[in-house]
Amino acid sequence: MKLRETVIQAAYSLRANKLRSWLTTMGVAVGVFSIIAVMTALQAVDRSVASGLSSLGSNTFEIQKYPATFFGGHGRSRFINRPDITYEEGLAFKNLMGKKVDRIGLKVSRSGNQAIYANRSTNPDITLFGADENFASANGFDIENGRNLVKNDIRFSRNVAIIGRDVLNTLFPGGENPVEKQIKVNGKLYRIIGVFMNKGAAFGQSQDNLIVIPITRYLAHIDIKKSISVTVEAASQKEYQATIDQAIGAMRIARGLTIKDPSNFELRTNEALVESFREFQRTISVGAFIISFMALVTAGVGIMNIMLVSVTERTKEIGVRKSVGAPRKSIMRQFLLEALFLSLTGGVIGIVVGASAGNIVAVAFNLPPILPLAWIIISIAVCSGIGIIFGLFPAYRAANLNPVDALRTGK
Amino acid sequence: MDNTLIRMESLCRFYEMGDQTVKALDNIDLSFNRNEYVAIMGPSGSGKSTLMNIIGCLDTPSSGTYELNGQSVSGMDDDELARIRNREIGFVFQTFNLLPRLDCLRNVELPLIYAGIDAEERFDRALDALERVGLGDRVNHKPSELSGGQIQRVAIARALINNPSLILADEPTGNLDTSTSRDIMTIFSELSEAGNTIILITHEEDIAQYTRRFIRLRDGKIESDTHAPILE
Ligand SMILES: Nc1ncnc2c1ncn2[C@@H]1O[C@H](COP(=O)(O)OP(=O)(O)OP(=O)(O)O)[C@@H](O)[C@H]1O
Ligand SMILES: [Mg+2]
Repeated sequence: MKLRETVIQAAYSLRANKLRSWLTTMGVAVGVFSIIAVMTALQAVDRSVASGLSSLGSNTFEIQKYPATFFGGHGRSRFINRPDITYEEGLAFKNLMGKKVDRIGLKVSRSGNQAIYANRSTNPDITLFGADENFASANGFDIENGRNLVKNDIRFSRNVAIIGRDVLNTLFPGGENPVEKQIKVNGKLYRIIGVFMNKGAAFGQSQDNLIVIPITRYLAHIDIKKSISVTVEAASQKEYQATIDQAIGAMRIARGLTIKDPSNFELRTNEALVESFREFQRTISVGAFIISFMALVTAGVGIMNIMLVSVTERTKEIGVRKSVGAPRKSIMRQFLLEALFLSLTGGVIGIVVGASAGNIVAVAFNLPPILPLAWIIISIAVCSGIGIIFGLFPAYRAANLNPVDALRTGK
Repeated sequence: MDNTLIRMESLCRFYEMGDQTVKALDNIDLSFNRNEYVAIMGPSGSGKSTLMNIIGCLDTPSSGTYELNGQSVSGMDDDELARIRNREIGFVFQTFNLLPRLDCLRNVELPLIYAGIDAEERFDRALDALERVGLGDRVNHKPSELSGGQIQRVAIARALINNPSLILADEPTGNLDTSTSRDIMTIFSELSEAGNTIILITHEEDIAQYTRRFIRLRDGKIESDTHAPILE
């Protein structure tokens, strides 16, 4: 029998049991969905993460109490007993680094702040930084209007602020010049001295929703016990590694560590950030794999079960087909094709729904949607494999029925 | 060409049932010529269906020889038997055995599908066969939409479609009323006159009377084998 005929026959019998066919298909769809959705989302986010994480600037690294983790990460608690990096240690570090380093910035931050000007207020989602005059250059901000922080702002812990573009747009919608205006952040008054130029979004999150005040003022008025982070910019890529080595030494001295003590601070480099994202990506992938694997095996067993039921139900049909001359391989092919059809339909549904769901994440992060072609091909291959493997036994059983016995069965 | 279509010699079919052996067919010697029209009769359990299954290559003998068209069937595997059934044999069953989901046309063309014949020719020949049994106007009906007599005629059309050497019918009128049975037997008689070889099983004398040769089985053995008197 020609393949075309077999396909038609298979389609006929699946149509005769629509509900059952659909339910079986759903199992496969769920398995494929989870892997495709996760892989689509990860792949969509991937590129922007790589570039987004690089916002530090390629010659820049940070020293912090906690290691770089992604989306909260795990094991933060292991480091909670480390002493905070104090502002004084930061200053000592700066001294120790001497002239070799172009710029060293000290900063602290907290999220969830609200700013008020006149009768307008922002959402309570602003990140408030306490920083020094090097913040802008170390973090890739340009001053669009007004001026940067200067050393004296820090020394005298002045109540001045530089605002990001989002804050500007909300509080001064009419194009009014914000410089020298007084805004209230969490109930405290600051005088605006400058506005940062628009930087855009990374991971779908605006980078312009910030306010920067002098770090000394921050530590004095907002949060006295806060571990600071130190941003170090090497003069050139060539000196990057040497600068890192020097910084580790300087920070150990600033923190009063002896030779025997392990370092109680972490280095955050771009590579470390990207690596931590990769690790997160791996964890999610493994999870998706496990879920998909279990769902697909379950679905495969479901297909086998349905096909066995189908063989039993259609024993008479098989007998009739054999009596008019159907060879074993054509019966086998018919049932295999039905199983294949069930699993592939499920696979296609899983791919379509999964890719859509994955791309919803992409859209939510303001990223261009993608088609995870490799995963689609893998899914189709796996589904074919499932259909064939789990269809094989029922098909074999059908093909080897004795025609006399098969014809004698009821129905 | 040799006119013998079927030759059986000391053919046995035993079923092992636990420790006892059921001799469904016990040492049968029998041959049929082309264009014979035969009725096989006998009480229930005498081995009629078993014999028909072997003649139809659905089953193989436990011992003895069976030749169809001069070809020994005994040593064949399932697929070779399937090919013989496909080319040489047309079955008509008491319970019709049509596929309920397929319409008449698709039921009738089924043997041609396995013969590898393309769709266009299948359609023409199936239509032709249906017309021969008087169902040219029912081609797209499903079996459930037909009467018993009509269903059996579809089954006959299916049996005819391959121009088989042999048409085998196991109690083809067993599920039909008297007048419908008469219609079906008329079709068989016409087919016989057209040159087909037909073997049918029945336990009704008046059905057997349509045929030209009567074989009676009892306990797996041939009890009698008589020919109808030649009418002028
Ligand atoms: N698959 C089988 N297993 C065991 N015994 C069988 C099998 N098929 C048939 N028999 C036995 O073989 C004998 C002949 O059976 P068969 O079906 O050929 O009878 P029959 O003449 O067709 O009867 P009926 O008129 O009732 O159809 C019976 O005794 C039956 O019980
Ligand atoms: Mg019988």
